[in-house]
Amino acid sequence: MASVKIPEHKIILCGEFGVGKSSLFRRYAADTFITATDRKSTLGLDHYEKLYKTKSRDVKLQLWDTGGMERVASITSSYYKFSEAAILVFALDNPDSFNVLSQHLLDVVTYAENAKIFLCGNKYDLKSQILVSDADMETFSEQCHNLISGIYKTSCKTGEGVEEMFADIASKLGDANRSRKELDALTDESFKVTTHLDSTPQDSCLC
Amino acid sequence: MDEEYDCIVLGTGLKECIISGMLSVSGKKVLHMDRNKYYGGESASITPLEDLFAKFEMPNPDESYGRTRDWNVDLIPKFLMANGQLVKLLIHTGVTRYLEFKSVEGSYVYKGNKISKVPSDDKEALTTDLLGMFEKRRFRNFLVFAQDFKEDDPSSWKAMPGFDPNTTPMSAVFAHFNLDRNTIDITGHALALYRDDEYLAKPALDCLKRIRLYSDSLARYGKSPYLYPLYGLGELPQGFARLSAIYGGTYMLDKPIDEIVFTDGKVSGVRSGSETAKCKQVYCDPTYVPDKVKQVGQVIRAICLLDHPVANTKDALSTQIIIPQKQVNRNSDIYVSMVSYTHQVAAKGWFVALVSTTVETADPEAEIKPGLDLLGPIKQKFVTVSPLFKPIDDGRESQLFISESYDATSHFETTCLDVLSIYNRGTGEDFDFSKVKHNLGDEEA
Repeated sequence: MASVKIPEHKIILCGEFGVGKSSLFRRYAADTFITATDRKSTLGLDHYEKLYKTKSRDVKLQLWDTGGMERVASITSSYYKFSEAAILVFALDNPDSFNVLSQHLLDVVTYAENAKIFLCGNKYDLKSQILVSDADMETFSEQCHNLISGIYKTSCKTGEGVEEMFADIASKLGDANRSRKELDALTDESFKVTTHLDSTPQDSCLC
Repeated sequence: MDEEYDCIVLGTGLKECIISGMLSVSGKKVLHMDRNKYYGGESASITPLEDLFAKFEMPNPDESYGRTRDWNVDLIPKFLMANGQLVKLLIHTGVTRYLEFKSVEGSYVYKGNKISKVPSDDKEALTTDLLGMFEKRRFRNFLVFAQDFKEDDPSSWKAMPGFDPNTTPMSAVFAHFNLDRNTIDITGHALALYRDDEYLAKPALDCLKRIRLYSDSLARYGKSPYLYPLYGLGELPQGFARLSAIYGGTYMLDKPIDEIVFTDGKVSGVRSGSETAKCKQVYCDPTYVPDKVKQVGQVIRAICLLDHPVANTKDALSTQIIIPQKQVNRNSDIYVSMVSYTHQVAAKGWFVALVSTTVETADPEAEIKPGLDLLGPIKQKFVTVSPLFKPIDDGRESQLFISESYDATSHFETTCLDVLSIYNRGTGEDFDFSKVKHNLGDEEA
């Protein structure tokens, strides 16, 4: 058998192109920000793990970025598979990116049934240009029959709210074991093929 | 899309997605388009179940099929050899991190109207019910020879005087070990996985390597040499598409492909409607270039939905059964592969079996009857007969590189060989796996 069963909590970023998903990813992974879209800097990097200490236990978050597939085509359904949480990201200065989230929500519910869903309004630093209000976000959450487990406002440019959001998501995932158990049942006896072809199956692992 | 690219890839089947991934990783600017609005082309796993029924112009499935979203049905059945080329590609490109696998539970071979477990090592050779007492010993001696064989070490093939892996035909090796027709059939078709008997006259090296691939694959995860991904084979092209996107590849789906543009006999672009994307090379599957391929045969595939496992497989939730050609008086083998709800490809309690072979007669459905008969009652059956296409040239002249249709083999070895050959023809070099920095995403903070 290969690795220990998905020991991390897979979290995916969803939302329109340009709302700041990769910026969130970059803040999370390296605590940096780049104004110009310099895709080259993230080439080859598509997920990143970090350990969070929460009240109940240590939680390892594994954040996944889309890889830019949503620019013109749709994201593959496999992106959603095995995820325990999804962050719906929109730009606070762009109501269209907010209004289209119901579509992204549908994708999450379809392909990652038991994932917890979080809402994140990005570009909070553009104070004077904010067009999506807290009330709008509350209404959206209510319309989603309380599928939304948390609402956050972040600025990847300044870093405001980013770490707080991930820490809060970590604690919420740490408390809830439901989706975890379902995922474990799903992957019972499954494994990832390993990196070391010549090693014996027992002592190999994915990383 | 009015931009200039190094390469445009048409179709998102598995071969095209692997090629797209390799090209992007190698630093090429890639545009990857599909006329369908989903990823995978013929390699997609169809979901929900209504879509499969609709594809075959049947009314919607009734409620006995459970939740239709739980179904992901492959159109082309194949397993991965645990130590084979595709697993190596998955590991070296890092695409393995997108996928979860299960080991296929049983590997069986059909002989005299019943199925038996495929014996693969010297111990199983002695306990199998496929062979008579004296034949078992001869088969065991042959397997020991095959297991000890090392291509670059002549002392490892002392057991057969005068043997040379590059000249001695396989038939002579079988003759030396005194194996009878039955044993040869099992060895060539269930272990070396040949589809017909042409290998007998060819040098033994290839056959011995294939037997080694089988036993090495079996050694990796135990139950059988085969692996299958959760959610179906359609996850494979998606994984490679993601690799390509992460290395800068651009994806466009639901895009009609109206013309491949040539300038002075070389490709110069691809037109969709009024837009034309310029490029130096085009890579595509045969369906995009019907006038540049020739038909070389046909494959019949029957997708069968079952509400029970296959008899005599110890209720295995996944299995492979090979019916060697001679057992049913044919020239090519019949393959039966079965997966189930445990792989997230069917609703709880359901099984999906695929019976396939190379077409030899005018009545292909009758040809697969021996395979269908093994399955027991079939709830629903979907039959396709697909032409097998090959490109009419190697593409070097026109810079238009066309993949071959997916053949009837039960695994991905020929698929990978085609991909690696296309990559070599297109770039003039073999793929350099060290270009993939797939460890980047896996490091701890």
